[in-house]
Amino acid sequence: MADGHLFNNITLGGRGGTNPGQLRVHSGGILWKKQGGGKAVEVDKSDMVGLTWMKVPRSNQLGVRIKDGLFYKFTGFRDQDVASLTSYLQSTCGITPEEKQLSVSGKNWGEVDLNGNMLTFLVGSKQAFEVSLADVAQTQLQGKNDVMLEFHVDDTTGANEKDSLMEISFHVPNSNTQFVGDENRP
Amino acid sequence: GDNRTSVRTSNELIAYKNVNDQPTPREMMILVDQKNEAVLLPIYGIMVAFHISTVKTVSSQQDTNRNCYVRIIFNVPGTPFTPHDANSIKNQGAIYLKEASFRSKDPRHISEVVQQIKTLRRNVMARESERAERAT
Repeated sequence: MADGHLFNNITLGGRGGTNPGQLRVHSGGILWKKQGGGKAVEVDKSDMVGLTWMKVPRSNQLGVRIKDGLFYKFTGFRDQDVASLTSYLQSTCGITPEEKQLSVSGKNWGEVDLNGNMLTFLVGSKQAFEVSLADVAQTQLQGKNDVMLEFHVDDTTGANEKDSLMEISFHVPNSNTQFVGDENRP
Repeated sequence: GDNRTSVRTSNELIAYKNVNDQPTPREMMILVDQKNEAVLLPIYGIMVAFHISTVKTVSSQQDTNRNCYVRIIFNVPGTPFTPHDANSIKNQGAIYLKEASFRSKDPRHISEVVQQIKTLRRNVMARESERAERAT
């Protein structure tokens, strides 16, 4: 297991904010360990179905999508890490990471994309944010045009963040043709 | 003439040009960027920027367990008094983020955020309506 790359200060992002840790990318897959022990994430390369790179403020984020629809996000890569890790992942896992862009324009209108259990809000084909539908406790249709997503809340949520997301709602105008009828709602 | 002014106002709704222009707070928390007239919300480990002109209202609430909640409602088409009409015509078929609610551990931070958003929104709105008036 001497092969591969080791990165310190990589945070695992998710519902409850971020956790700092250490990420090892090796010939068999990816292993992330939380700083100080506890949570670990291990992804075997045979379970990987997609990889993405996204430039975030002062850093880069690696997205790892696995077979069962889960999507892990690791942040903290320097620009020079991206190139070396991309070629390493290409040769060991045979997957070329896709490049995604973060929307920073500040607009609140765009498209909703559903992929696996991830809901992505895109502004001008760039990603504004992404939420996991696995964390959604309840969805509600409000009126004819509004869809509300309520997230699970318990004492452990948001352990690492000051402000944690509870609810979001989308307004789907009548002119939208992507989601027609109730059964297709996000 | 008139046409150009309206195009310009809708194009002005840009919080940041580059990813690296966006500030990164030490903690995952709501942030108001006065300089760039933006509100940054922590959503799944990433700070997501919204231009202040997309914000319609902001309110906060505290429950008996000293939990603090903040709710931000965004402008969407079809509701009265939204200054968005030029955009909603342009963006037919788009889906809008209408609302986002957060729970916070820090009531003082939340009341600060609410005040900052309200003030910034008022200032930007006043400036924009003045500009629109001057243009006519």
